[in-house]
Amino acid sequence: MEHRPDLHLRDRARNGVQDTQMRQAIQKAVDRLSSNKAKAAQELGNWDAWREQGKRIRKHTIENLDYYLAQLAENVRKSGGFVHFVPTAAEARQVVLDICKKHNAKMVIKSKSMVSEEIHLNPALEHAGIEAVETDLAEYILQLAGEPPSHIIVPAIHKNRRQIAELFSKVAGHPVESDTPSLTAFARKILRKKFLTADVGITGCNFAVAQTGSVTLVTNEGNARLTTSLPKVLISIMGMERIVPTFEDLEVLLTLLPRSATGQKLTSYVSVINKTRNVDEKDGAKEFHLLILDNGRSRMLEDDEFRQALHCIRCGACFNVCPVYRQIGGHAYASVYGGPIGSVITPLLLNDLDFWGELAYASSLCAACSSSCPVKIPLHDLLLALRHRRAEAGYTPFLEKTAFNLWRRFFKLPAAYKFAMKMASIGQKPFVTNGFIKAGPPPLSNWTNSRYFPALPGETFRDRWREKQ
Amino acid sequence: MAIDERNFLKTIAKSLGRTEPLAKAPKRNEAGPPSFWQEQKFEANDPFDFFKKNLEALTGRVELAASADEANRIIEDWLRELKAQSVIMWDHPELKKYIKLEMSGIKLDYWSPSRDENQLVAAAEQADVGITWADYAIGYSGTVALLCGPGKGRSVSLLPHTHIAVFLKSNLVPTMSSIMHDLTRFGTEKLPSVIDFITGPSRTSDIEMDLSIGVHGPFRVWTVIIDDQ
Repeated sequence: MEHRPDLHLRDRARNGVQDTQMRQAIQKAVDRLSSNKAKAAQELGNWDAWREQGKRIRKHTIENLDYYLAQLAENVRKSGGFVHFVPTAAEARQVVLDICKKHNAKMVIKSKSMVSEEIHLNPALEHAGIEAVETDLAEYILQLAGEPPSHIIVPAIHKNRRQIAELFSKVAGHPVESDTPSLTAFARKILRKKFLTADVGITGCNFAVAQTGSVTLVTNEGNARLTTSLPKVLISIMGMERIVPTFEDLEVLLTLLPRSATGQKLTSYVSVINKTRNVDEKDGAKEFHLLILDNGRSRMLEDDEFRQALHCIRCGACFNVCPVYRQIGGHAYASVYGGPIGSVITPLLLNDLDFWGELAYASSLCAACSSSCPVKIPLHDLLLALRHRRAEAGYTPFLEKTAFNLWRRFFKLPAAYKFAMKMASIGQKPFVTNGFIKAGPPPLSNWTNSRYFPALPGETFRDRWREKQ
Repeated sequence: MAIDERNFLKTIAKSLGRTEPLAKAPKRNEAGPPSFWQEQKFEANDPFDFFKKNLEALTGRVELAASADEANRIIEDWLRELKAQSVIMWDHPELKKYIKLEMSGIKLDYWSPSRDENQLVAAAEQADVGITWADYAIGYSGTVALLCGPGKGRSVSLLPHTHIAVFLKSNLVPTMSSIMHDLTRFGTEKLPSVIDFITGPSRTSDIEMDLSIGVHGPFRVWTVIIDDQ
């Protein structure tokens, strides 16, 4: 099930750029997050050495993923859990639905999980008559608004407090004040009731630990703790790459993740869930299911160049430094995974270089993403490589292909090139003001609609070279 | 091994250029934190000093008690300050050895394995304060680490508005490395069902990047450290 938007990237980006409120909110958020990150990295010291170690661990794990996943599965079973290897999103949804049906579940509570968005779990649950309640404050707001996330760490950053108060007031049936403490208190009250009565809890997984069969969840609000502590049945869904070999490796990634995401030394809560509850325990899940999802990841794994995109630990640091994300916002990507990393993995996960491959162009190739990545994924190189593959596959627009073919032809023949340049410098005259073309005719207007095009000078390099001699 | 699992792992093996999934543990050159991190030295009082500074920066409280009596006095003062009506406490031998609130006149529940679970969750939900025992606390991040299990409910540090964690000064470690090292030595069998690393109160910046405390979990995380050194 692929959710392809109606608009192409160009038009989605234009809509984003025109949304001033959203852009201001995004810019405030990403500036705060990246300056916090810079402070945290400096305070820790040796940041680059930590990144290098993070990269080594991720690389080793991904290169031996078959071994570590088998080890994880064995250990989860030893501690009383069930493991489901699910190749596709459809199979993942079916497994979750079957578990819910087996327990006659009426309501499930969810803590923030991008992978559950990836498999479009909520619509499937609703369709089966099961209420799915998002409990991360931002995800709850978005669920009420019926909107997708616009940032991986602060998903509702595009909504302002007035809009949030309106959404909450509808739920309350009376006006809810729009100051932050009132809004937070309202969500706490409503969601606490849901936590206490839900039949099943569903989480993602930040890092599974192969050696012990553990699932690690990283949150600030505590909703993942409630989700894993109160319902009797717990389902965790992990992309197959979200695993580390040992607790010691986990420490490295826990050193990198919160600092890169929000600049915290550690998030308020890191829960390492090792097993289902003991007979004498009075909270925690009695039944645990771990779903390990492929859904296009093995295709990425197979590819020597793009395998490293699986090293990602989903911190969102690349969003926060990206000059393109900053202007167009998260919704323009139209994918569960936006920002630079989303532009790389979305076309690969969906195996679609044509439509989704457009995302490779949502980048200025400035490399800020690569420098910000805590596990050193060379994101801008991968974006360039995607463009290359897309061009090779013949998906570039007719006009672009024609233009470059013509260029190639003329460039090969000095006389023809000289003639063409001469003609162009005469032909451009009606459009030039102060050395720039500010509104060109089609197809040049594609460029000049959003920026100026430098006019061709009257004198060519060859002319000047001849003069100087 | 179920057939879907075998196929799944085989697909991965194939993607990695192998015909069969790797059955033997792969060799590793680098594991865990960088060597400079593992080799760093700390002064004896560093973990405490760090812990205090870091947790207080997150609005937490850190009190050092010279004796069990003093620890009880601190907690009773706090309960009065909070106007607490009821407390839920881990049924944990060491915690009960030091902290005795039976005489304080406050409604006191223990998270006992013998009690009905619905009653316990309701008690934790209604309690103003939850008191736990931290087997470890990390100076470097101001974190308490709770090893949950029988008598040591997760709800106690989660449902009430205030969480008070008690531990010995000797339970303080400088960094997470010591804990990860111990957990690895435990072996899977002896691992607690859950390890909760708690660093300050529940928080969110989801609304306009405005920091708000106490969204789902406690508003306050206060600690009493008993000086046993």
